[in-house]
Parts: sequence; C-alpha cells; structure tokens
Amino acid sequence: MSASPAKMTQSGIFAGYNTGGFYDEMFAADGEVRPHYAKLFQKFASMVPAQFEERRKLADLSFLLQGITFTVYSDGQGTERLFPFDLIPRILPYSEWERVDRGLSQRVVALNLFLQDIYGPQRILKDRRIPAALIYSCKHFRREMIGVEVPRGIYTHICGIDLVRDSKTGELCVLEDNVRTPSGVSYVLENRLVMTRTFPDAFQQHEVLPVNHYPAELSRILRSLSPRTDSEAQIVLLTPGIYNSAYFEHSFLAQQMGVELVEGRDLVVDGEIVYMKTIYGLKRVDVIYRRVDDEFLDSLTFRGDSILGVPGLMGAYRAGNVALANAVGNGIADDKAIYAYVPEFIKYYLGEDPILRTVETYLCARPDHLSHVVENIHNLVVKAVGESGGYGMLIGPSSTRARIDEFREAVKADPRNYIAQPVIPLSRVPSYDPVNETVSGCHVDLRPYCLYDGQKVTIVPGGLTRVALQSGSLVVNSSQGGGSKDTWVLRGEN
Amino acid sequence: MLSRIADSMFWLARYIERAEDTARILDVTYHTLLEQSQNSYRLRWDPLIAMAGEENRFQQLYGEANAQNVFEFLAFRQENPSSIVECITKARENARTIRDRISREMWEDINGFYFSVSRVNPQEEIETGPHRFCEKIKFGSHRFHGVTDATLPHDEGWEFLRIGWSLERAEMTARLVDVQYHNLLDAHSTLDAPDNHQWMAVLKSVGAYETYHRQYHSPIEAERVAEMLILHPQHPRSIRFSIGEVQAGLRAISHTTAGSYANEAERLTGKLLESLRYDTIDEIFKRGLHGYLSDLLRVCGSIGEDIARTYFYYSAVA
Repeated sequence: MSASPAKMTQSGIFAGYNTGGFYDEMFAADGEVRPHYAKLFQKFASMVPAQFEERRKLADLSFLLQGITFTVYSDGQGTERLFPFDLIPRILPYSEWERVDRGLSQRVVALNLFLQDIYGPQRILKDRRIPAALIYSCKHFRREMIGVEVPRGIYTHICGIDLVRDSKTGELCVLEDNVRTPSGVSYVLENRLVMTRTFPDAFQQHEVLPVNHYPAELSRILRSLSPRTDSEAQIVLLTPGIYNSAYFEHSFLAQQMGVELVEGRDLVVDGEIVYMKTIYGLKRVDVIYRRVDDEFLDSLTFRGDSILGVPGLMGAYRAGNVALANAVGNGIADDKAIYAYVPEFIKYYLGEDPILRTVETYLCARPDHLSHVVENIHNLVVKAVGESGGYGMLIGPSSTRARIDEFREAVKADPRNYIAQPVIPLSRVPSYDPVNETVSGCHVDLRPYCLYDGQKVTIVPGGLTRVALQSGSLVVNSSQGGGSKDTWVLRGEN
Repeated sequence: MLSRIADSMFWLARYIERAEDTARILDVTYHTLLEQSQNSYRLRWDPLIAMAGEENRFQQLYGEANAQNVFEFLAFRQENPSSIVECITKARENARTIRDRISREMWEDINGFYFSVSRVNPQEEIETGPHRFCEKIKFGSHRFHGVTDATLPHDEGWEFLRIGWSLERAEMTARLVDVQYHNLLDAHSTLDAPDNHQWMAVLKSVGAYETYHRQYHSPIEAERVAEMLILHPQHPRSIRFSIGEVQAGLRAISHTTAGSYANEAERLTGKLLESLRYDTIDEIFKRGLHGYLSDLLRVCGSIGEDIARTYFYYSAVA
C-alpha cells in the first residue's frame, strides 16, 4: 500500500464522486479509499471513461450471446431482458466474510430445525415461544407435510439469505430469508466468468476466493438424498419451462451438474414411483431439484389447474420413493412475519446468541404494532409477508399519498398479511452510469447462497450483489430494474 | 435422453435446414431471373411460393408475385410460418429449451445467428436484393453444422439432429425438383428455346453445378439434373444420400443392424432407400416424375410421424 492513502478526488472515472452521506463500500467517510479496495481503485482511477466503456460493451456482448437474460412480466407479454451487470466489483474483506459465513450457517441450521419441529413434534409451539396462530395462518404452511419424514431430515438444502449493510451502523444484517426456491446463483458464476475475461489483470493483483465449486457441491448434496442405494442416483432439475424468468439459471445449473433438465410433462408417476419419459422408455427418477413452487407441484394435492407439476408427485414423495429439494412447506420459514422470530429460534434450538443482527420488524398481526404502523406508515417499509421479488411492497418515504393510503387500508383489512420495517439506508458501491459516462454511488444488498447437507453448511464466498442502478432507488430486484455486480472475498486481507 | 429433448433436437435441425434451403432457392432464382425477360417472371416466382406450400396466404397478402414481395414473403413475413426469419426464430426457441443438452458453443452460435437475423431491416434488404441476406443464412447454417460436428458428442442427440436435417433436406430437394419440372413442362409450350437456365439455377441452388459437370460432361438436361438430385449416391444434397443419412441415424439410435428394422420409421426408410438405390431415372420418368416425387414426399411425411410416435409421443402409462 502507498504511504499516503488514495483519495477519491483523483481524476479518471471517479472524478467528482460523492458518497452522499451513505456508507460507501469503497470509500470511508473522509473520502479515503478503504484498504481492501486500494489496488482496484488505483487500477480504475487510471482509466478514462472511453476505456471503461469499451470493456463494458465487451461484457454486455458476452451476456447477450450467451442468452443470459431474464423475463419481466409487468408489460403483460413477458419480455426477455439482459440482467444489467456493473463492472465495478463489490469487495468484502475476509475478516468480515468469516463472521458472515458463521452467522449464516447458524441461521440455516436453525431454520432447518424449525421446519423439522413444525412439521414434526411442534415443541416450539407447545413451549409457547411463537404463537401457533402465526403458523397456521401462514399461506405457505402445508398441512400435507405434517409427519412426513423428509430424506436425511433436510428441508433447507438451498437458501438465499439477503443481507444489507445499514449506513447508520456500518454492519451487515439479515433482511430476509429465501428458503423455497431462491434464484440468482447462476449470475454469481457467470458474473465471475465475464469479470475474469474483462479484467484478467485485476485478478492477478488480488487473491479472490473462487466460487465455481457451487454446482459440484449442490450435486453432491442432491446425490446423497437418493432413496436407492443400489444404483447410481437419477437426478433431475424440474423447471416450469422456458417462459419462467429464471429459465436461464435452470438450464445453466442442470448443465453444470450434468443432470437432466425436465418439465412436468416429462415426468409421470406410476405406483408411487416417479419416472421420466426417455427415447428408450420410462426411467426411474430418485431426486428432484425442483424450481417449481409448492402450489404447482402436484395438481392432485395442490392447485388442480397446474400443468407445471406432476400429478401424484406428493404421493411418491410421502412414500419416500423420491427426494425433493428444497422440501415442500418451507415457505413457513421465510414468511416475513416469522422472520421476526428467527433470533428466538436460534436461541431456542441451538442455545446460542444470533451472530447476525436482523432488522427491527413490526408485526401488523399484533395490535400494538399495528397502530404504530398505521400512524407511521409514511416513514416505514411495508411488505406483504408471503411475497418475494420486490412485489407487494411499499417504501413509505418515496411513495405517493394515494399509494400510502391504499396500503394503509390493505394493512388494516388483513393485518396478518403485512409487516413493517424502518427504511434502511443501504450502503452504496460506486457504479458506472453508461448514459452519462460517470461513476455514481448505487445502493446494494448481498445474497449469499447456502447449501446444507444435514451436517454442515457450505457457502460460496461472496454471493450475488444486487445493485439498484436507478439513481437513489433502494429496490435491487431484477424484476424492478436492478442489476448485479461481481462480489469478491479477498483471501487474507483485512 | 428425454423424449422432449430428442423432439427439440429433431426440430432444431429441421428448421435450420429449412431456412438454408429456402435461402438457397431464393437467391439463385432471383439472380437467374435478372437475366430473363419480364413476361416470364410470374411463371418463375409462383413455384417458389408453391414450394413453401403457402399459395393461399401469399395470394391474400399480395396478389400478384414479383421479385420484391416473394423475397419479403419467403424471408421475413411472420405470417409465413416457413419464412427464413420464422425458421431461425423457431430453431432458436428449440435450442433454448435444450440449451443444457447442446454445447455452449452451439447455443451461443445459434443465439447470435438469431440476433443477427432478427435485427436486419427487411426494407433495406429488399432494396439491396436477396444475395447478401441469403449468404448470411447459408453461412449461418454451415457454421451451425460445423460447430455441432466439432463440439457435440456424436450420441443419440446428435443422431436426432442428423435425422432432422437429412429428412428436411430430402423433402426440400424433392419439392424443388417437382415444382421446377412442372414449370419446365409449362415453359416448353410457351417459349421457343429449351430452358436451360432454370435447371442451371436448380443445380446452383443445391450447390451441385460443378458436380454435375464433372459427372456428366454434357449440356444441362432436365433428366440428368433430376437424376443427380434424386439418385446421386454421394452428393450431400441428393435425396438418396439424405435418406441414407436418415437410415444411419435411426439405426444408431435403435442399434439395429442392416437387413432388419426396429420400428415403422426404419421399415419405411429402408424400403425407400432400396428403391432409390435401384431405380433408374428412365424408370422414374416413365412412371411420371411428379407421381414419383409425390409418393416420396408422402413416405417422408410418414417417416417423420413414425419417429414422433416411436420416440417423442408414446403413451407413458398403460
């Protein structure tokens, strides 16, 4: 490192950059470059916008040619779009990552124990540590799962846990859990690939921890779930099909793991055994990594109008003839009202204090919280408990009066369906704005991907950094105009 | 291999082949006609529409055929399900559903091909004439074959691709010979000179012009051209060669050896190939070329249906 720390006021693409009073991942409050960003800053600061723009176009072309797109439904016809990728990476020092890794592992294990308990003995309800009404009123609670013995006791094989850094404290905390069918990991791997192609020299200067062992680890876990031990496990990835917004990821993971990518129509159930239709006849299936939501999985058990699933699948699952990852009924654990109780689970099941903080949460189902929410709704973020992807959400301070009124009425009419949290001033990372050819600070979150094999949790270092590329926006979901960044965890640097 | 994937492989290859064959025919016909008199135009364009089997739709959209609207219809119109752009779009859709099963290089190539074709400005191409566009399609298809051959394991998936493009090629060549032969008979009654240009165009469209001259050392005659396109044992675009490829593909999948068959598609293919091996062009003309080709197209249709019944859409649970 140089004797005098670099300052952002240097020329190049960072000229005129302003942290805007938020926690900036690259610059400290006094404008000094944070130590783990020092080398990268020097590299980028020496580039003029034209050079940067050239690299950016190369990266975009690479994504387009690979067809790395997602589908948005807001316009009614489902348009294919590129997921915007920002070339300035988000860097986490190893010391911080190590703590996050421990905190997430603890949380995943506790969530799994919670699901085992809820669909099993329900000790936590009997001990009155969480209101039973909250469980039974959750729309993702699946009665059909009570008493089902899931393979190796694992519910939460794959979790995507969203973290945000609060500008006020500078600390990473958990914003929400995704333990149903979290998506986005393919972008972690593809972003890294494109990044190494675009800035190979930067990787030579840093020891960035690798991420591409994810598919192999997932594949190992899926294999271990097979109910048949006498033959090679037949594993499939069940996708809703090419019109699903995450189809790219489904095909990507299937290819990386060397498993069959199937749609519901490729599978049949006969005598509580699942088969796939091949050119040589029916072939037995042992493990299904399903990317189809619970309610569409089996038209005989859940929604009768679903054509995405496989009629009879739940029968085969309950009979123990096929394993599903993730388990059915996990939505109870990532319900946004249950979220408020996770620190409690950690203490209850593990006897430990939670390592990662959570965000203060008001449960509208509680009358005292409800009145606070109704009175202060213009200062709060209000979320529907069962939604994901940034849908069904109100950000009070940046919403119109009419929309606030609309949400207030909705909350009053169905309090169980809503929670509220204070607006978190998310940290920012410098991001390139191709229209103005300047760099400005954009808000980010972080979704690490956790794999659980029943013994230990494996997390690829970093995860997906989602970035709100629209100036000032706090919403990072891809369906709402967000993009992503490569995320680096540096070995041994603090 | 999943039935659905085999199905998509088959159609991916068929659509690419259909796009290439359409481009070849369009390009050559267009440029041959530049050297022809105006009054024979209609006579020359109609067969192209007939080949696509879309006469009614064309009639509704345009009425009279001319160089511009035929090009537009065959290359760009969405209303024509066999237009080149529609074929490439469908090929890419099929590739997208099986992108985990084809090589990354194949997917990136087909995807790039799709973007380069779907983003052309039809009006500009129509003004430029079809050559540039058709070359792009031909080249794109060749690249597809090259990338596929070099990067995809030659397993069942590859065999379904091979069956798809070979069956499509056999059908397209049969249609080409059929419509041009009709045209020729009509032309004899109205034009003074025997029309060699038309047959020259046919040969060029399948890239067989040079092969023809090496083989026959004679002026271009309709019978010889037909012989070459139907019966030639080695030319990769002849019907006999293409059906031989279909048979090889089917046998590789079912592990059937010569002299037997495992399903109806193999039986029909074997029977058709034997007749193509032992028929002579004189016999074919004696029987009537149109009748011969119509029968052949019907058999090709049945082979396609039987492949689907055997491998793609069999009933799963009794």
